[in-house]
Formats: sequence, C-alpha cells, structure tokens
Amino acid sequence: MKPLTVNFRSKASQTLADAQIQQSIEHVYTGFFQSRLAAAADTPDWEVLRTKGKAIKDHTIAHLDYYLGQLADSVEANGGSVFFAADAVEARKHIIDLAHRREIKTVIKSKSMVSEEMGLAEAMNAEGFETIETDLGEYIIQLANETPYHLIAPAVHKSRADVAKLLDDDFKEGDRIPDASELTMMARKKLRGVFERADMSVTGVNFAVAESGSIALVTNEGNGRMSTSVPRVHVAVMGMEKIVPSIQDLSTMLRILIRSATGQRISTYVTMINGPRKPEEEEGPEEFHLVIMDNGRQKLLEDEQMRESLNCIRCGACLNACPVYRKVGGHAYGWVYPGPIGAIVSPVLTGLKDASNLPAASSLCGACHVACPVKINIPRMLLELRWRTAEGSTDKKERTSSITERGIWKMWRFGMMGRKRFDIGARLSGLALLPFTKNGWLKKAPPPISGWTSTRDFPAIASKSLKSRFGKRDRNSR
Amino acid sequence: MADRAEFLARVTLSLGRSEVLAPPTDHSTTVFEDADTAKSRADSATNDAAERSSDLLNRLAESADAAGWKVHRARNPEAAAGLVAEICEQKSAGSVLRSSHDVLEEIGTDDAVTNTGATIAVTEHVGETNRGLVEESKQRAFSTDIGITGVDYAVAETGTVVLHPRGGLSRLVSLAPPTHIAVVRPGEVLDSLDELFAMERNSFMSGELAGSMNLISGPSKTADIEGTTVTGIHGPLEVHLIILETG
Ligand code: SF4
Repeated sequence: MKPLTVNFRSKASQTLADAQIQQSIEHVYTGFFQSRLAAAADTPDWEVLRTKGKAIKDHTIAHLDYYLGQLADSVEANGGSVFFAADAVEARKHIIDLAHRREIKTVIKSKSMVSEEMGLAEAMNAEGFETIETDLGEYIIQLANETPYHLIAPAVHKSRADVAKLLDDDFKEGDRIPDASELTMMARKKLRGVFERADMSVTGVNFAVAESGSIALVTNEGNGRMSTSVPRVHVAVMGMEKIVPSIQDLSTMLRILIRSATGQRISTYVTMINGPRKPEEEEGPEEFHLVIMDNGRQKLLEDEQMRESLNCIRCGACLNACPVYRKVGGHAYGWVYPGPIGAIVSPVLTGLKDASNLPAASSLCGACHVACPVKINIPRMLLELRWRTAEGSTDKKERTSSITERGIWKMWRFGMMGRKRFDIGARLSGLALLPFTKNGWLKKAPPPISGWTSTRDFPAIASKSLKSRFGKRDRNSR
Repeated sequence: MADRAEFLARVTLSLGRSEVLAPPTDHSTTVFEDADTAKSRADSATNDAAERSSDLLNRLAESADAAGWKVHRARNPEAAAGLVAEICEQKSAGSVLRSSHDVLEEIGTDDAVTNTGATIAVTEHVGETNRGLVEESKQRAFSTDIGITGVDYAVAETGTVVLHPRGGLSRLVSLAPPTHIAVVRPGEVLDSLDELFAMERNSFMSGELAGSMNLISGPSKTADIEGTTVTGIHGPLEVHLIILETG
C-alpha cells in the first residue's frame, strides 16, 4: 500500500469537519474503550498478565533470529512450507505465482494488516483472481474501495445507509434503511456462495508458535475457520515479529489480546493450525504456506529506541484510548497502521520525512501506554521521533522542522539561559504582543503564533513577572 | 527471492550480533518446560476434570451462557436425546449431520433425529480421503440444517467447546450448518485455558499434536456495522450446548 502519511493535516481536518463520522466513531470507540476497562477489572490478575505478556514479547524479540529459525523448521516438519519475504513486493509476487501454479480461481481473504501492507487483494484481483475480503468490515471497505479505518473495526465510519448502498444495488436514497442484522444477513448470503467455491485462502496470523509450528487465528465471525476448512490451498501471512516461543505462552497472549481488543473473555473462534489437513480428514487444505515478511521491520529491530514497537500484538486498545485518534479518525494516518502505534510504525517503515506530522499528533497524555496490554511505552517513542524531526536525525531530509521554528527555539534557549536575558525577553515580548492582547488574552496574533491563536486563545504575558511580584511579597511579609 | 539464511542473518545483524544466540534456559516463558513436566501438568488437568466435574459443569454452564450458547442440562442420556429432538423440531430441520463422537451414540442421537422426520448422516472415519470425497463432504456440510458434535474438551473459564478435527470429525460440521449442537459429559470439562494449552503442549512434546484445533465460544458474530452486535455472519446463527450430567 502506498503511504499517504504526508496528507495527515488535510485528512484530519476533513474528518474533524464531518459531524456524522464524528458521532459514529465516538460511539464505537467509547464502547470498545469501556469494554476493555470492564474486562480488565473482571480479570483478577490483569496486571500480572500484562507484565507476563511484556516479558514474553521482550524475550521473543531479543531472540527473534533463533525463534524465526525454529518456527520455519517446525512448520516444515508439520508438512507446511515457509517463505521469507524481505518486502511486500516479494511477498505479493510469491503468493500470486503460487496462485497461478495451482490454477486458482477464487481467493478468500481474512482480515490481515500485513496483507494490507502488500496491497494483496487489489493485486490479486488485477491478476484475474476473484479475491474477496471475508471479514464483514473489510468486505464493506472493499466494496467501497477504501482502506481500513481501525485495526479491528475497519468499517466503523460507515453508516447503515452507506452499507445498504454497497450491499444492495437496488437501494435508493429515501428507502427504509435496513437494520444491522438485516444487512449482516444480506452479506452472509453473498459470502456463503464465495466460501463454497473458494479454492485458496489468505489469512493473517495472530500468533505463530515457534516450537510447534502452529499458527493461531482469532475471529468472531468464523471467516478464519472457513478459510482453514474449505479451500485446497491456505496461505498465512505474518510480520516477522508475530511469534511466541511455546504453546503455553499462547494462553497468556490470547487472554490479553482478546480482552484488550473487544473486552471479551475469548473471541468466538480461536483456530490453531498445524500444517495441512491430515490424510484421513474429511476437509481441510491440501497445502499450507506461511509467508514471513520483513518489509522494514528490520529498521525497528536495529533501532534500540524503537525496538519495543515490535512487541505490538495489534489489539487496537491504544487507538480507542487516544484522544487524537478518536477525533481525526483512521484515514488521516495515511498508511496501514493508524493511531498511536501507527504514529511510530509508519514513520519508521515508510519514512519519517513525509510522516513527521504523525508523532506530533499526540498530546502525550499517556493513555495509550496505560491501555497497552504489553505495556509499550508509546509516548517515549513519539518524543524520540519528534526529537529526530527537530534535530536528532542524521538524515538531513528527515529534519523537517522549519527554520523559523528552529530559530525561535534557539532564541528561547538563549533567553532562558541567563537571568537578565530572561527578564528583558519577557518584557519585550509582552510589549510586542500588547497590540494583540485583549482582557488578558491573546486572540489574534501574527504568524507564527497565529498557528495557535487561530484555534485557541493564549494567555497574555503578565505585565509583572512572577519574580518581581514574589520579591515584593517577600519583603512585605517580613 | 529472499533466502532463509540471508533473511535470518539480517535479523541477527539487526539485533547487534554476529551469530544466533540461543535463549537462556531460565526464562519466565514456559518454552523450556520439559516433556515430563508437560506430561504431569496434562495429567493433573485430566484428574482435576474428573474430580471437580460437577463444580466445573456449573461454571461451564454459566460462562457458556454468557458467551451466547443456549445451555441445556440433561439428567440422563434419554433427556439429552429428547433435547436434540426438540431442537430439530423447533428448527424444522430436514437434514442433520453429526460427528462420530461416541457420546452421540450413547444418547441415541440417530433415532432421536430420525423420529422427527429428519435425515441423519455421520462423518465417519473412512481412511484416506481424496479431492472428490472432500468436495462431496463440503457440499453436504453446506446443505445441512443442523450439525451435531460431542466435544474433545470444554473450558469452564470461557464457555468454550474444543474440537480437534480428524477422521470422523469434519471441520465443517460445527461451522457450515446454521445450527450447531454440542453435547458435553462430566470429566470433559477443563478449568481454564491454561489447562487446555498444558494438554496441547503435552501432545506436542509426545509427538501427537493434532492437525488443528478449534475453540468455539458461542455463535458466530460481528459488530462491524455501526458497532451493533449481530449473531450469525459466517458460522452458525444458533448454538446449543447440552450438558449431560451423568457419565
Ligand atoms: S501498541 Fe499496544 S495497545 Fe496499541 S495495538 Fe499494539 S499492543 Fe495494542
């Protein structure tokens, strides 16, 4: 998928101005957010589980080379095949070639962010394979020709009327709008036919178990199970970080993933696949292929400041908790991963130069850190990236802060470093801004301060400094 | 094409090392648990399931209900058969497909179903299957009204039915038909997911890991349209759990 991170500001403004979207996304995020809080409160060892989850991921990432090798060996021992793809292009080509060789006609896709990185569905459709997204949200998004809005609720921004238009060709403006359950049944009917004829499936991987070569899929809808039961070829795609060492680690990880994602104790379906079907089984794929993709993750791995982001299990909790994401919506972030974690991953994977607005779009309130089931310190990494765009990056193109901005901060620094300078500076800026001050507030300041005052008032600089007032008070009280 | 060695070498390098460093063996994850420990954990889970069976059945009933199962309790096999017949009638089922779990024979499922006028087919272990047979069994599963299975395990913590597809237990019998009925017996209920995965790990350590495992907790559902939860998108619209109280 082509990154459009550079459009953050304009896309965010668009969403902010759309009252209908504001209302519907707020409703859904609040629901997710509260379900997660309730699930955590309902789980006696919640904090212990989070600590354990973090330990498992820290450990796995620190030995990622070892576990990747072990995973590949185990999958092959189970009769599956493994392909290591350096980037999205390689991964896509491998899957398309395979589909050609196996004379595939219909491909069913389950929700997978990694396949979004590849732009797989569009590419396969262009190659002449009927490729259908089967997660209901993704299906709606595919019909609308858009990209997912949220990690686990891709179509949260679509209203029932929008969906009715997409599912029913005869639906006209002014018709009665079907309810969610009627719409779901319409989609069920359409997708049933697709499932019956599918001969290949592409799914994501929620966790891959290194020791046993198993992959775990978590769904509520059952499309993950259809994908692993009906077609004769099953391809699972994963980012190289999605590993846990042992089967028992799954127990911990599933608990925290599902509770953080939807607030459920468990999702309706958890499916573990250990290779192709056994010879005596009634159904199941004849072939199992695991595609393990890097696609820039190496940059996160070698960067010690950013490595922690590979612990992410894509639960979406940080999105629902983020006051900025909740307002600007998922499309503003311009690439596969939105929200706080996207603001870290996208700049590193697709280039900080175009994505420099992403780490800036945060109040650093820390809600994401508190919400994260594996305790990823997102605000720390956002600050690190901000520092790089300001002056830290060794790549000059990535230092996107403007000369004015840098100049102002240099002056600020100079002013703050000496008592006299500070006093004079404060008095001068108070005077300079006096014409724009009204009743103690700056309402319409000239550029560059207008960036602030166009949306918010700024308190005027006080006529007397704290120091001088404090000095007086001190003398008076003596 | 990225070759495996090259790919892994780059990962090693990114970790700041020149060669693969095997993980320390005293780490807090359970990866280093040996076969004996895995076995004893699995055994204690099985014993636990037998000893605390009535307590576990009660907890299962509660959490299964919360997960969206329609929970029924049957005092004896006849009552269980009666419940199966009742559901068939309620759904005006024309065709039923069942797995070859022995509990289904024990309660006399076939007679109960045929007495309601519906036909019943069994997914039986027939030895090696081929593409033609697979197609047939797919067709059958997609055109059946009700699928009935036993359970390989159930999990009290989450209201989960665990099935390991194999010869005699089709992957689709619990998925494709619009209604699924599962029958669980005392001694088949594990306390928690931890116990389940402990048993799985034991199977793995002893080289008997099954081809796949399905954890099923309630009906298929989605909340993808305006956040409203709707049951029955791809899998069953309705799922029944019949808890048989005597072995
Ligand atoms: S960063 Fe944490 S909270 Fe956000 S999606 Fe990843 S695991 Fe979930």
